[in-house]
Amino acid sequence: MASGELKLSGWEVGEVRRLPGMDVKKIGRDLYEIFIGPQHPGSGHMRIIVRLDGDVMVEVDPDLGYVHRTMEKLAEGRSYIKVIPLMERMAILDACNITLPYVEAVEKLLDLEPPERAKYLRVLLCEINRIASHLYGMGIFGVFLGHSTMYMWPFGDREVFVELAERLTGARLTHTYAVPGGVRRDVPDGFTDDLRKAIRYMRKRLEDYRKIFLDNPVIRARLEDVGVIPRNLAIELGIVGPNLRASGVEYDVRLIEPYEVYDELDFEIPVFEEGDALARTWVRVEEIRQSLRILEQVADKLDKMPREGVMHDKFWAKAPKLYKDVYAREGRVKLMPLFATLRVPKGKAFARAEAGRGEIVYYVESEGGMTPYRVRVVSPSFRNAIVFKYIAPGHRLMDLPAIYGSIDYFPPEADR
Amino acid sequence: MSGVITWLGEWFFWPPFFQLVIAPGLVAALVIVIFILWFERKAAARVQMRVGPYNVSPRLGGALQLIADLVRYSFQEFIVPFTVDRAAFITAPLLLLLASMLPMAVIPVSPVLPYSYTWPNIMKYNLLLALALTTLSPIFTVAAGWASNNKFSLIGAARESFMVTAYELIFVLALLSTAAPVHSYDFVKIVEAQSTWKLMALLNPPAFLAAFIATLLSTSGFPFEIPESEHEVVAGPFTEYSGLVYGVEMGAAYIKRYAMSVLMALAFFSGWKPLDPQPGAGVWSGYVAPLVVVLIKATIIMAVISFLRAVYGRYRLDQALHLAWKILLPLALLGYAIGLVYGYLGVL
Repeated sequence: MASGELKLSGWEVGEVRRLPGMDVKKIGRDLYEIFIGPQHPGSGHMRIIVRLDGDVMVEVDPDLGYVHRTMEKLAEGRSYIKVIPLMERMAILDACNITLPYVEAVEKLLDLEPPERAKYLRVLLCEINRIASHLYGMGIFGVFLGHSTMYMWPFGDREVFVELAERLTGARLTHTYAVPGGVRRDVPDGFTDDLRKAIRYMRKRLEDYRKIFLDNPVIRARLEDVGVIPRNLAIELGIVGPNLRASGVEYDVRLIEPYEVYDELDFEIPVFEEGDALARTWVRVEEIRQSLRILEQVADKLDKMPREGVMHDKFWAKAPKLYKDVYAREGRVKLMPLFATLRVPKGKAFARAEAGRGEIVYYVESEGGMTPYRVRVVSPSFRNAIVFKYIAPGHRLMDLPAIYGSIDYFPPEADR
Repeated sequence: MSGVITWLGEWFFWPPFFQLVIAPGLVAALVIVIFILWFERKAAARVQMRVGPYNVSPRLGGALQLIADLVRYSFQEFIVPFTVDRAAFITAPLLLLLASMLPMAVIPVSPVLPYSYTWPNIMKYNLLLALALTTLSPIFTVAAGWASNNKFSLIGAARESFMVTAYELIFVLALLSTAAPVHSYDFVKIVEAQSTWKLMALLNPPAFLAAFIATLLSTSGFPFEIPESEHEVVAGPFTEYSGLVYGVEMGAAYIKRYAMSVLMALAFFSGWKPLDPQPGAGVWSGYVAPLVVVLIKATIIMAVISFLRAVYGRYRLDQALHLAWKILLPLALLGYAIGLVYGYLGVL
């Protein structure tokens, strides 16, 4: 080691400088190193470096960054409204949740509060997204465990909620629905009835999931006591979302710092004590149930409210007459031209929300121009990625998909 | 003219050729495997709110999809990587297919043989011969994984060898427990001792259950699809293979499942009963018709195995081995004990 000691002064003739991270790492005598990913059916857009002793994993390194798209930097060159479709690409199936804190932060800088109805509409799409996101995660989880039916069912049922989102926003996935000052459009005719139908259907399906997947002896054998995250470790690692709540920590941004209209709605935060892969799956199922409850209340509320005011008055006043006519007639409106030249006052704002996979945090700084000076994102999957390193060692190689799937880790969201 | 036809018939129905190449061997195996693959996809699709294979032949419910896949496989490039052990890499899959098929050559599918052909004397022990031949094929799976020189292949091959040691004893014991009651290693005697409803599967359920689950274990049926478990080891021992040879390897597992299903149909489900061919019967009624009954029974067993794919995930390797050594092996021993008791009391 003496000759290879790292010298920060630079190259010296005749000496090979060793770069940390470029060294060949020595592994134990009987260890077997495999690289799972980035081109592997069970890896997703990431690489997991696993060192095996026989069939037991002794070291697991999640290697992130394969889908890093410099979103934070890109956001600095875009007008405020264009940052929303950009940030949606983190988790297109959770688009409203993932961009809502950004919109809220910009609203804080603009110092405006969206109208009541717009807030309900945001919650509506957020919960639809949350259900779709959980169903997606459960489907992937199912196929990780070789359970093809659990892959097809949630993906098929997710279609119901994707369809609802499409009727509401016009887009299946990247909705760009919440914009500073309100939302893009109101619910179409007959939407709440279909929503109630979807809620009834989904409640029935959750029961089917329990029968074929969660109470399936094979699946239970695979998940029980696998990948246990003890409560104190979960807090120490700073993991978020359903994974944290499965370890017995009651932490949900909707609960501790209610945004939009979550404080007016009646719902529970499911918390499990076990902290194993099965508990993490159950948390998601129970969260879908609670989301359905929220959706029911939102549907009732939307029916009672007068169908007007999805945009803040300050912005609505500047809308052309044609927009107002179309809105009065069809309940929907194009994106208003003022967003193209939206200037945000100088300042710093911070907002957070509970996305499908956990807490997402935005920090937006404005210099008073048409583009943000800085947008910082901390996404839930990034905070959960650390779990691989601490939880997987000691388990068998076949437990890796069970742990990966139960964390519902989503590389594009972590890499930004 | 009739002499020529008889000559052709004698040649065609010569059991060593007919059984290995036509039925229950290669041709029948391919037809049944293709049907089972289609059934497996259709049944799973039905459970999973999908249509399944459809577009290739809408009127047949997509039955020709598998033929189309086979054609596609056969025109794909077969890549032999630089890093592999060439000779073993190329020969292992073919020997695997052959070894999976071999038990067919020694299975009697009817008490009557066509054209006054007689089995050699050693065929009195055809149960033992068939069992011995079913244990040949796994070595070629392991060889394929080893020759691939790929970490995932190697892990897959190691898993396969773990599974082999686990299931072989169980399957052999379970089938031997059907030989004990009739005091013979001859499938003909075992089948003749049963009748349409007096099935060995009902008389000796532990042995049948052990044999059934051992079949799942040996042919990567769910919930034991472990050596090829996609999400850890890509395609297990077959990771480096491509084209037709990959198709052959995937097919070999099904052919082995088919071979073991035929063995189970004979040993546990009274083989060609309800037919009862008498000596002197013609080729069609005495030889081909019983064969078809056996194949139908084997196909039903395979269909049940295929359906499990829609219901179960996969066990972990250690859980599967635990199940095999600590639960199935005692179960198989229990079955064998029951068989011995039947044999001692002379029930059958």
